[in-house]
Amino acid sequence: MSTLASDPLATSAETWRDHSSREPVVPAELVPPRGVSRRERVTALRRRHLLRERRALDTYAASRSPERGWPVADNRVVLTFFRGLLAERRSEVFWLVALNALAAGAALVVPRLLGNLVNRTVHGGARADQISALNELALLIVGVVCAQALLTFLAQRISTIFGQDLLSSAREYIVRTVLRLPLGRVEGASTGDLVTRVTRDVGTMSRSVQFGLPQAIISGLTVGLSVVAMLLNSVVLAVPCLLLIGASGFQVRRYLQRAPKGYITEGSTYSRINTTLTETVEGARTVEALALSDLRVGAGDDDIEVSAQAERYTMTLRNLLFCVIDICFNSPRVVTLLVGAWGYSKGWVSLGQITAALLYVESLSGPLDRLVGEMDRLQVGVASTSRLLGIAQVPEDRVAGTERPDGPHLVGEDLHFAYREGHDVLHGVSLDLEVGERLAIVGPSGSGKSTLGRLLSGINGPRTGSVKVGGVDLVALPLEQLRTEVALVTQEHHVFVGTVRDNIVLAREDSPDEAVWDALSAVGSRDWVERLPHALDTMIGSGQQSLTPAQAQQVALARLIIADPHTLVLDEATSLIDPRTARTLEGSMNALLDGRTVVAIAHRLHTAHDADRIAVVIDGEVLELGSHHDLVAQDGEYAALWRAWTS
Amino acid sequence: MRDFPPVIDTFYSAAGRTPGPAPDTRTPAAFLRWFLRFQWPVIALSTVVGVLWQLPLTVGPLLFGKAIDHGIVAHSASGTLFWAGLLFIVTVVGATFGIVLHTLVVRTWLIGLYGTMKLVTRKVVQMGHVLPRRTPTGEVLSVASSDSDEFGALTEITSRAASQLVAYLIVAFIVLTTSPELGVLMLLAAPVLVGAAMPLLKPLHRRQQVERGRNSELTSMATDIVAGLRILRGIGGERTFGRNYDQQSQLARRAGVSAGIWQAAIEAVGVLFSGVFIVLLVWLGTRQVIDGDLTIGQLISFLGYALFMIYPIQTFFELAQKVTRAMVSARKAIAIFEHQPPWPDLETSTPLPDEADLYDALSGFTAHEGELTIVVSAVPEDTAALADRLGRYLPADTEPVSYELGEGLKGRAARRARAERLAERARLAALDEELANREWGVRLGDVDLGAASLDDVRRHILVSDTGSQLFAGTLQDAIDPHGRLTLEQAEHALRVANAEDVYEALPGGWQGVLDERGRGLSGGQRQRVVLARALAVDAPVLVLVEPTSAVDAHTEARIAERVADVRRGRTTVVTTVSPLWLHHADRVVLLENGTVTVEGTHDDLLRTSAAYRGVVARSMDAPVEEVSSHEHSRL
Repeated sequence: MSTLASDPLATSAETWRDHSSREPVVPAELVPPRGVSRRERVTALRRRHLLRERRALDTYAASRSPERGWPVADNRVVLTFFRGLLAERRSEVFWLVALNALAAGAALVVPRLLGNLVNRTVHGGARADQISALNELALLIVGVVCAQALLTFLAQRISTIFGQDLLSSAREYIVRTVLRLPLGRVEGASTGDLVTRVTRDVGTMSRSVQFGLPQAIISGLTVGLSVVAMLLNSVVLAVPCLLLIGASGFQVRRYLQRAPKGYITEGSTYSRINTTLTETVEGARTVEALALSDLRVGAGDDDIEVSAQAERYTMTLRNLLFCVIDICFNSPRVVTLLVGAWGYSKGWVSLGQITAALLYVESLSGPLDRLVGEMDRLQVGVASTSRLLGIAQVPEDRVAGTERPDGPHLVGEDLHFAYREGHDVLHGVSLDLEVGERLAIVGPSGSGKSTLGRLLSGINGPRTGSVKVGGVDLVALPLEQLRTEVALVTQEHHVFVGTVRDNIVLAREDSPDEAVWDALSAVGSRDWVERLPHALDTMIGSGQQSLTPAQAQQVALARLIIADPHTLVLDEATSLIDPRTARTLEGSMNALLDGRTVVAIAHRLHTAHDADRIAVVIDGEVLELGSHHDLVAQDGEYAALWRAWTS
Repeated sequence: MRDFPPVIDTFYSAAGRTPGPAPDTRTPAAFLRWFLRFQWPVIALSTVVGVLWQLPLTVGPLLFGKAIDHGIVAHSASGTLFWAGLLFIVTVVGATFGIVLHTLVVRTWLIGLYGTMKLVTRKVVQMGHVLPRRTPTGEVLSVASSDSDEFGALTEITSRAASQLVAYLIVAFIVLTTSPELGVLMLLAAPVLVGAAMPLLKPLHRRQQVERGRNSELTSMATDIVAGLRILRGIGGERTFGRNYDQQSQLARRAGVSAGIWQAAIEAVGVLFSGVFIVLLVWLGTRQVIDGDLTIGQLISFLGYALFMIYPIQTFFELAQKVTRAMVSARKAIAIFEHQPPWPDLETSTPLPDEADLYDALSGFTAHEGELTIVVSAVPEDTAALADRLGRYLPADTEPVSYELGEGLKGRAARRARAERLAERARLAALDEELANREWGVRLGDVDLGAASLDDVRRHILVSDTGSQLFAGTLQDAIDPHGRLTLEQAEHALRVANAEDVYEALPGGWQGVLDERGRGLSGGQRQRVVLARALAVDAPVLVLVEPTSAVDAHTEARIAERVADVRRGRTTVVTTVSPLWLHHADRVVLLENGTVTVEGTHDDLLRTSAAYRGVVARSMDAPVEEVSSHEHSRL
């Protein structure tokens, strides 16, 4: 066995923490003080609010520049993206604005007409005249109301069509982006973050694109037109009210600057709660076995405690906002009354104008509230969208050249590779694969053998050196070509939701059915596929016709038969072969390996024993290379291991 | 009064706390009643505050009308100031209580939400490994993540509806005393107005359901694509699955548009009807003004009330909808909360001996005290089942019963399917109960595990199965979750499991953070951390199921040697077929068709048992004879 140059646990004592030094998840400053004066309570509340604000800002900042995982785009990119989507839909946007403006305009005519009615009634006159005037006006209002209803219908309809169209384009774009992610990154990174993005973030984006954007446009139009209508009705009555409403602008701005960050923080606390609970549920048996119940319940309660703090922050923000807007949006009623009384006594305004002004003021607070709410929602949507568009910012990991390989000869030369800069995992490995041979790579974990496998299959490019097939660099091949040259066989036998055919033709999507059947026959699956209700057209995958683990693995093998690469890299530690189904699959596996060059990253020594050649990789270098008998005869690392295996 | 997050001691309570009352799971309605009773003081208070908050709407128009009549029209400055002053006070009162109300609403909502989440966590730990046997994981999670929100919404709508009812009655009183004729019209018209949209609601809901279905399908397709992304990028198929997604996305778009058109129709009808209602009101009212039965101020206040009346009625419809949805959620919650642990309530449990042989009657397997016993079988399920029995875990051979019914099921078919599920759930529960209450069939010394308390069993026998999971947190927490180890013990466990590289790879060493389920680690690293954690517990009996299946031969050899060494003198059972382990065993046992057929040392069995050779040599692949002859020739 190789001895380690330095003790990996050298820093152990420094990083170990005493059990009692654990900090509470919610700092003591965030707990309200008890038994103190009202003034102190208020100052304490202010302190807590500021502290919560800092926590929210920190969480938000962290979510914008994640240490790990996929990048996040900045807001400019999001705006450009949406501007692009809108630019493609000029005529829809025009109709959206026009119809909504007309609908809002019609709604604003009614209060004026009611005001006129009041004026006529107050002026008096002969009863019969009054009644006929009333009837006329009533009919006119009915007419306007009908028009308003029709316009509302059309405006809402175009909003829906527009919102849905925008949304479907956006999400299809996102999925296309995901499907273009560079191979090297996909193989390396965990998919959890990506799953969150295509589910939760797409959901949030949906809400803001589908409802938020049209609603914001509509509310904005309504507010704008209302202001115009109020001014047309009576400048004297309108100006004080508008000033009062405008006075809330400062607080609204303050709120809008802070709230979205608060909501994003809140959202992240909920996904945290969810993650912890998922772990507890899925690990229920582990929890029971190790008596972790108290800890898991505690972890869940801690998450909720943190979430409650985030909720308190946005609650206070909203309360601060409501304080101002409840007064600013509701007191114009009183102002209208006072100014109206004054103006009426001076003869500047009529009772009808006062009535109309009241109705305008009453109906303005709805769209104003909605406008603030939608601005909120839009900003949260922008944050989600920026995470989605971040996926598109992952740089390409290869540039396809035009050269095509001449033959299946695979050679790796002087390979160096590092996951972290300055920490090479491979130190100048060279391997020349004979066409059709079976090469086993053995070595302890962390020796770099899996990395070597990834380089040999073209998933990553080496830092220096080259892996060439038929004289062409693997990373200079287009992916479609690469897949038919070399394939990495991993344990993933994910069955996609789709037909059996969809699940098999992956590498050559235009394969004829005969090819699919041949592949299925080769892995011994023809029988059970024929027995499925719709044969190749049967839907499989989660929620559909379910497959046994062995069948799922056969499907995965059939995919590779269709791809038909001349070289296979088999990472055994993560290989397809599940011990439970190993026996039934042996034949299928042999059918796949037959006639191909195979590099097996061996985990079980029998694989090495059966191989034509064995490479022993230790600390990123090939220490021994040769046949089983050669290496046993050399009496080195491999021989020692072999003795342990067979003794 | 309760604040959020609520303290919950139901289903599971920490030592020293009295267990809280269990929810009423007899019917969904009973469950919801229990839920509302749980926080009725907050709900009652927010009802009262809600009434105060709505004062500007309920008495505002009245005051405005008075101001016009007694102030403006009467040319009385003092009259105007008096009524306007009152109106201002009402506005300020409304605004102030608006804040109080908002605070209370957030509180009731979050008590409901967090309370449900806490109940779910506690139920999960109370049930342990039994729950996943009976219920799909996804359904447990969805009670916490989405149904909890419905319960929060229910508490909010309950208090809002109650306060709107009071407001409605106040307004009814005002309008009826002002003008009986117009008052009756208003009180009747408001429900008619909202009711008029009802026939449109049904087709809308149907379409919304289709839209939701297609959207969730779309989400699962996206998840599916990401889950299989390595395959899609590694082997291909981007075009096929990209196209499938686009098609589904377009289906979802069409469903959304068709639901949206009904929504638009409902809004238009609302505009039309409420417009016509106001015209009718104005027409009647103006006639009364002309006839001198009504003042102009009263007419204007009626206009204000006409705008208000829509809200309470809408709220009542919302209440009906939310109650329906809460009932559905309650049914799902009951499907989780009604489970009871099957274990017998042992009044006099027999304590287990600290050191003794462990014997399984069904297979005839014995783990001798202080020995390393390795169980070999060609069928991994058999050894896994044996390990489960040794640790008193119910067998993992049941199919969980889902609550979700298929999409197309409606009416009677749905009821029948639900009844079937119910019966199946009851059958599973009864089966567990039966298994848990009879003699278990595994003895530690003379004590049957069924006669001991479950806690005692868990303390004595630790089974680390292949499903053992890591939790998010620091590496220190992963190895030493209880905080009982010294640094030396933790280091030792890490070294025995040969997991030093995990320490090295994590920035921050012991404080390095593992992602949920140890996601950032490789399969082999995860397995070794799990092993280190199990070793650190230092249980009297340790059962390791396939502990090194994802580890390479070099490392496996090291681990086998070190584990055998560190567990020397303590009862240890390992299931594996790897020769690297086998020659460290004090005793090897071959399991065939679930029963022990031969036992002895590895060398003995290789020599004497063809069946054993068959199983073990398979893992070595090379015919044993050839290997040994090769070895002999070297000697």
